[in-house]
Amino acid sequence: MNIRTTSLAIAIASALIGCTPDNSEQAMNGASDSSVAANAFAEQAAVGAEKFAANCAACHGINLEGSTLGPLLSGRPFMQRWGQRNPSLLFNNIKANMPPGGNEGLSDDDYLAIAAHILSVNGVDTVTTALDPSTDFTIADNASAIASLRNRNEPPAPEGVTVAGNVDDFVPFTPVTDAMLESPDPADWPMIRRSYDAHSYSPLDQIDTSNVANLRLEWVWNMHEGDSEPSPLVYKGIIYLINPGNVIQAIDGKTGELIWENWAGPANRQDMRNIAIYNDKIIQATTDARLVALDARTGKQVWETMVADNSQGFENSSGPIVADGKVILGLAGCARYIKDDCYISAHDANTGELVWRFNTIAKANEPGGDTWGELDDIFRAGGETWITGSYDPELKLTYWGTAQQKPWVPVSRHLTIQDEGLFTNSTVAVNTDDGTLNWHFQHVPAEALDLDEVFERVLVNRGDEKLVFSLGKYGILWKSDRVSGEFKGYKETVFQNAFTDIDPVTGRVTYREDIQNAKLNEWTSACPSSAGGKDWHSMTYHEPSGLMIAPLSQTCLENAAREVALVQGGGGLAASRKFFEMPGTDGNLGKIGAYNVDTMEEVWSYQQRASFHTGTMSTAGDLVFVGDLDRRFKALDVNTGEVVWETRLGTSVQGHPVSFAIDGKQYIAVTSAVGGTSPRTVPDVIATEITYPRWGNALYVFSLPED
Amino acid sequence: MTKNNSTRWAANLFCMALLALFTAPLALAQDASFRAHLSKMPTTPQTKNAISGGGEVIATLEGHTLTISGHFEGMSSVATMAHVHMGPPAQPGPVVSAITAPDSTGGELSGQIELNDEQLAALKVNSLYVQIHSADNAAGELRGWFFAR
Ligand code: HEC
Repeated sequence: MNIRTTSLAIAIASALIGCTPDNSEQAMNGASDSSVAANAFAEQAAVGAEKFAANCAACHGINLEGSTLGPLLSGRPFMQRWGQRNPSLLFNNIKANMPPGGNEGLSDDDYLAIAAHILSVNGVDTVTTALDPSTDFTIADNASAIASLRNRNEPPAPEGVTVAGNVDDFVPFTPVTDAMLESPDPADWPMIRRSYDAHSYSPLDQIDTSNVANLRLEWVWNMHEGDSEPSPLVYKGIIYLINPGNVIQAIDGKTGELIWENWAGPANRQDMRNIAIYNDKIIQATTDARLVALDARTGKQVWETMVADNSQGFENSSGPIVADGKVILGLAGCARYIKDDCYISAHDANTGELVWRFNTIAKANEPGGDTWGELDDIFRAGGETWITGSYDPELKLTYWGTAQQKPWVPVSRHLTIQDEGLFTNSTVAVNTDDGTLNWHFQHVPAEALDLDEVFERVLVNRGDEKLVFSLGKYGILWKSDRVSGEFKGYKETVFQNAFTDIDPVTGRVTYREDIQNAKLNEWTSACPSSAGGKDWHSMTYHEPSGLMIAPLSQTCLENAAREVALVQGGGGLAASRKFFEMPGTDGNLGKIGAYNVDTMEEVWSYQQRASFHTGTMSTAGDLVFVGDLDRRFKALDVNTGEVVWETRLGTSVQGHPVSFAIDGKQYIAVTSAVGGTSPRTVPDVIATEITYPRWGNALYVFSLPED
Repeated sequence: MTKNNSTRWAANLFCMALLALFTAPLALAQDASFRAHLSKMPTTPQTKNAISGGGEVIATLEGHTLTISGHFEGMSSVATMAHVHMGPPAQPGPVVSAITAPDSTGGELSGQIELNDEQLAALKVNSLYVQIHSADNAAGELRGWFFAR
């Protein structure tokens, strides 16, 4: 948010406190027009409105409408998440988690008042008693229909196919086979990161270091608005594009013509990173944890199934890969204290039927179950698989990263730094036949700073060695044998001071003592920050040079654990956080680092003020493409890191660049986008001078001029 | 550390060695110059406009004497104090000594500090930093660690 928007928000906030406008009117509804408030709940909510304006509105909007800094807290999306829960959980949740920066000034009474305000804006109007920490009624049951109607101010969203067309009218469609996915046509980009080994590498070499300077825009396509980190698929010249709000479009890659569009719902402007193509189907995970297959030719829905119960908080932000003929996907939203935990699941590609699940959280009676202290199964949380895994067809193993334990700090979890919490923050190698665990390596046991190791697993063969690489938020590039899981080496890619020791033989990390012993409400200062030394933006492996080239980010954080009550349905993340520039970087938030996968040495690095917001993509033309917050899309020389081309797009460049070819001509495509969580919100508070439009999701396609 | 920094460090060592050879007795071979990039103290979306500014500080070491000069600008309110502290990068620590800052949101910084052996050793492992406090941010508004130039 730029300075102008913030001061506007503050101005609106103060205006609203002063003049009892719409919003407070709604809040006062239960008390009717009477100036004598006969309603303790309404009085509480009125106090809460002021507290909300002062402490929450900067991110959630003065009318709870949400902003790029925080989700909306009203209307259907809120009721979907909170309708079946009770006020006590809402109180505990916001007390444990909000505002993210710290809550020194807020008392329990303040939080209760804020909870009352949120409920009242959401139409809770049959309540007259003030909330207390244990108030237990079902929220939705106490919002009268009139009240909920009043909140439905958006026109109904489209559903299903909204633009009809047939890919066959552009390019004859041939079904995608396993063989095609195992060895993609150089012209295609048929899955996230292009190939099962997740190299994000295109074998196309028409565009190279000698002619890249001539690259020019071929066409641009504006996408639906909302949070967006997309990875387009390209198959036989057709681009399949996931838009915010679970909308998929098929676009002719040559002309930029829309062929079909489908809205699988919910139309919530939320983010989905990728989709899959298999046989004659496009397969998408939805933000509300469903799995949907569309006819790739027409966009018409073929089947749909539930991955997990969204009303329990489960959701997806990344889509599937299709491996070994199965649709394999992860799950997110697993921080709540409920019976079900996160898993990786495999579904039949023809029907959507569940084939197997691998649970990422070990229950007390299961292998690894003794790594959670005395904690009851209900209170074991985290282990999200929010980034799509990779696959080795020979070994029939799928490789995934898992997120850390939740809440973020051991003391908030009612655990210690000794409680490793399997299988969180690990690489898991899972058999695609039956979903059993082949091996695991836990990179950071008992994670303590919200720095997860969940990102892509890159499979590399060097001589006889079959390796797997990953790079998590600690900025450590990990190398393991992907057959045995044996640790093979590491490299720190950005400054980190969380670990005082990383065992060169076993890879075992030792946290700094003050991090090990962090108590509730005590600030700990560490690097990198939760924006991650590396985050969801995938790295590329450039096989010809043996270089792993990663988009990195250089910020640090101060973290203070908050208390989380062990109550069923509760849970959360529970820490206050502040952010600052990484010492020794001169304020360069963005870094591209290139690492020799044999020696693990840094061969070159390129640093700049603006943070990078796309994955890196390398090509056989010895180029690596990457985009940044400051709207720049750049090509670097793979061998030197020198910038050999750049252009400026409509807003921040965010997503996953891809390359494809049609009729022998090479194209480079990239998205501009907003949203993207902490990798954006953290640089936003540090590099406040970088401004960009708060809208402008689009797909840009570049090529060389024909002569 | 990045290649940039390590090459700079190596080049710097080389220059220092040359300088020492030609201009000074060997006892002064440890003379060196350090630089701190001043940036905002830890902040959040709510405080990001209340904590602002930036700057640069150069420190030159002769024996145990650290001579400091620098500038800062754009703070949210006037400077009240400035100190050199001891603590590893990104880890706050105790005050070593006060330095001079103007009663203003920007301006020149200066100071001279006699470092004891512990502080000298700290400087060499990037563990001294500058912090400027302001009227509205009593806990500090700008901060920067010293690294060898
Ligand atoms: C700095 C920005 C920021 C501030 C200030 C802030 N929040 Fe949030 N809030 C967020 C973000 C970001 C999320 C999403 C968190 C996530 O999903 O991890 C969130 C999530 C929430 C949620 C959960 C929403 C859901 O659908 O489950 C609630 C409730 C909430 N905030 C309430 C509050 C309240 C009440 C305050 C003030 C006391 C507040 N927030 C202050 C950024 C903020």
